[in-house]
Amino acid sequence: MEIKEVLKELLLEDKTLIHMPFGNGNCDFNKSIVLSWVFILVVFILILIFTHNMKVHNISKRQAAVEGFVLWIRGLAVGMLGEEGKDYATYIISVLVFLACSNVMGLFGVVPPTMDLNVTVALALVSIVMVEVAGIRSKGVKGWAKAFAQPMAVIAPMNVLELAIRPLSLCMRLFGNILGATVIMELLKHLIPVGFPVPFSLYFDIFDGLIQAYVFVFLTSLYIKEAVE
Amino acid sequence: MLNVNLWNILWTVVNLLILYFLIKKFLFGRVDEILEKRRAEVEEASKAADEMIEEAKKAKAEYQQRIELADEEKEQILADIKKQGYDEYERIVGEARKKGEQIVTEARHNAEVENERAKEVYAAQLADMVVEAASKIAATKHSTAQDRELYDKFINEAGAGK
Amino acid sequence: MSLTAIGAAIAAFTGLGAGLGIGIATAKATDAVARQPEADGKIMKLLLLGCALAEATAIYGFVVAIMIILFLG
Repeated sequence: MEIKEVLKELLLEDKTLIHMPFGNGNCDFNKSIVLSWVFILVVFILILIFTHNMKVHNISKRQAAVEGFVLWIRGLAVGMLGEEGKDYATYIISVLVFLACSNVMGLFGVVPPTMDLNVTVALALVSIVMVEVAGIRSKGVKGWAKAFAQPMAVIAPMNVLELAIRPLSLCMRLFGNILGATVIMELLKHLIPVGFPVPFSLYFDIFDGLIQAYVFVFLTSLYIKEAVE
Repeated sequence: MLNVNLWNILWTVVNLLILYFLIKKFLFGRVDEILEKRRAEVEEASKAADEMIEEAKKAKAEYQQRIELADEEKEQILADIKKQGYDEYERIVGEARKKGEQIVTEARHNAEVENERAKEVYAAQLADMVVEAASKIAATKHSTAQDRELYDKFINEAGAGK
Repeated sequence: MSLTAIGAAIAAFTGLGAGLGIGIATAKATDAVARQPEADGKIMKLLLLGCALAEATAIYGFVVAIMIILFLG
């Protein structure tokens, strides 16, 4: 039953990292929050390194890379959002960066922040709020409310249900994928600790993590695109 | 594993917002600033280039006009020269004709004068001859036969002298 | 114990649907690319999305199976 022990250790461990002396445990910081701080700090430092001393002429390779990257990723986001929703490109890109960073955390031997249900719930909530805000902003409150009865009034309850189903599916898909990948990786590492997990790590930690980040962002932008049309 | 805690959700949202503002301010803000500057510069340069092209077009049109004018002028000059040449030709030919006519007239006149003169000379000779013949007749004793012969001779001489 | 194992195995059957779905999606995508090679990028994007959606069911099953083993076993 050692596999069960591994699973228990991985899944049932206490996620709390910083205990607050007040609030009866409700104000504690989970590991995922602290990990997010870490990678946000790393991203911030990288951004500062890459964007300092930018020039208009005679640009360095570093600057050319940054400009190319910015244009590419913005093109990607706008391509998913459509022309009408391009105000939300920055939000989409920051979610993408957040998810990509946290999903590949498994490479460094830590539990990815997205394996914490709190994080995925928060992301899904922010996403659905953004979708509805985008709908209200482009159509007005009336138009937004009327859009629930599109294309016919009969399916209005379904559309209202989607308000709950969409974030639930977003959050559960992300959480489940990362959980599954991490569990499989832990089991593999438990079975053969050296060498063998490397190709699997390439798939589960990098490829799957990035794909899931892309899918999350893709679905969010699909919903936003639908809302602003 | 499935416990959800409101504070942690809130903190994640805050983290996301922090990342959003960092990316917006430091990555996109800076890169966009540079791109905007470059775009403005390019626009300015292209505007200047447009202006220059416009100017060049204007200059070209001007030159075209000038060339057309020059063409016209050239034709004018050519026509003038041709006209002048014709005039000159006409003049020369006219002069030549006039001269020829003059020459012909002079020649005719000369010939007439010459003729006149020859006639006069002939007449003088004839007179001389008549005088001579008369004096000969007068000088010699003469018979009818002799007279006849003399007349014949005279007539012959006159015929030959003619 | 044996019953929880059977329960986990049944939960793992969700993989069947996901596998079928991804297989059908990939077959159709291959067809589409063969028919219209120029629409390559779009088809790839849609295929990726569809696969992620289909895979989600398998993931749900996987999570359920793990939960059964952990909490009931």
